[in-house]
Amino acid sequence: MAQLVMAAATPHNPLLWRTMHEPMPEDLRGVADNFALIGRTMRELDVDVIVEVGTDHVRQFYSDNCPAFIIGKADSYHGTFENEVRTFGMEYCEVRGHRELADHIAGRTVLTDAIDFAVSHEWRLDHGFIIPLAYTTPDFDIPVVPIHVNATLPPLPRPERFAVLGRHIAESVRTWDSDARVALLTSGHMATEIGGPRQFMGAGSPDPDFDRDAVRWFRDGDLDAAIAGCTYERIMAAGNVTYQHVNIIAALAAMDGRPADLAEATESRYASSPFFLWRNA
Amino acid sequence: MSKYMINKLMRAIEMSDSAVAAYIDNTEGFVDAWLAGGAGPDAVTDDRFLTPDERAAFIARDEAELYRLGAHHYLLWHFIEAVWVHEVPWPQLNERYREAVRPHGYPDYVC
Repeated sequence: MAQLVMAAATPHNPLLWRTMHEPMPEDLRGVADNFALIGRTMRELDVDVIVEVGTDHVRQFYSDNCPAFIIGKADSYHGTFENEVRTFGMEYCEVRGHRELADHIAGRTVLTDAIDFAVSHEWRLDHGFIIPLAYTTPDFDIPVVPIHVNATLPPLPRPERFAVLGRHIAESVRTWDSDARVALLTSGHMATEIGGPRQFMGAGSPDPDFDRDAVRWFRDGDLDAAIAGCTYERIMAAGNVTYQHVNIIAALAAMDGRPADLAEATESRYASSPFFLWRNA
Repeated sequence: MSKYMINKLMRAIEMSDSAVAAYIDNTEGFVDAWLAGGAGPDAVTDDRFLTPDERAAFIARDEAELYRLGAHHYLLWHFIEAVWVHEVPWPQLNERYREAVRPHGYPDYVC
């Protein structure tokens, strides 16, 4: 059977793309090092497939047709959009998919009990998916099963559902008749605000208390506290785009609520960056 | 009020380089051409409408008014960034934006 050999969480801040280059600015060294650590861990653990849980930023999925959970079943995906090339300087890329694992996670003919996934066979991945891959697998040489969770356009799935998603991914891998070694990569935020009165205030978090609590949930393996701490109201008070933090609950649940080997809100010139890592092999 | 339509137009402009350029070049003309467009009766739905206040806010490229009207914060910032940054350097635009939306707190943005 397949094995879920690791789970991780990284930021997907696209502003890094223009700033995080050699010679590395001192304030971004911690972010670069943590991305490198997670990428190195994928190689050390011989990861064959990545299941990536992230959030499209109203690029591919808009309110005319907005799934709560959607999984990619395409053979390949285009990366990034014209506006992200213009605004962030990102580069177009191609990412291989993994149909067999996507079928196993979502169900091929009938949906699974855990999650009623919508399915996409044609999907351009935005920075929420591409940035974590670009920094951990810069050659895009590991196939990916993308799962978008709506954390942007209410009504949003409750945090309990992210835990269900994480457990379901872990169980799907455990029951997949394959020798593949699988990584779960989640893409999210710490407290972050964009488009509100607290956006881009300079270095530091718009809500250090939230970030401190959140690091503790994952460091201590406290899934119940993570779920209780991620109510919509608390999350919005932390910053108006912070709901993408909840993606990381899927990783904690997939690791059976085990304390993370790395749990850090890495500080830089931007809002703090989430870096969480569980080795499972 | 039609928050969905505000977001739809912001997104249509911001996601396309040519739309950003056309909107900046002839803002009122672009907005009215967009309103006049959309799908015919035999195509996938593509309805378009704005209230007079919403139309005026788009023609003025007015971030405070669009924010007050309930525009989605994420879409709004990137829209404003796209259509102003050629005139206002990014640091000043960021500061101006924060000050413009601050008096309105956190409007209900849910469509």
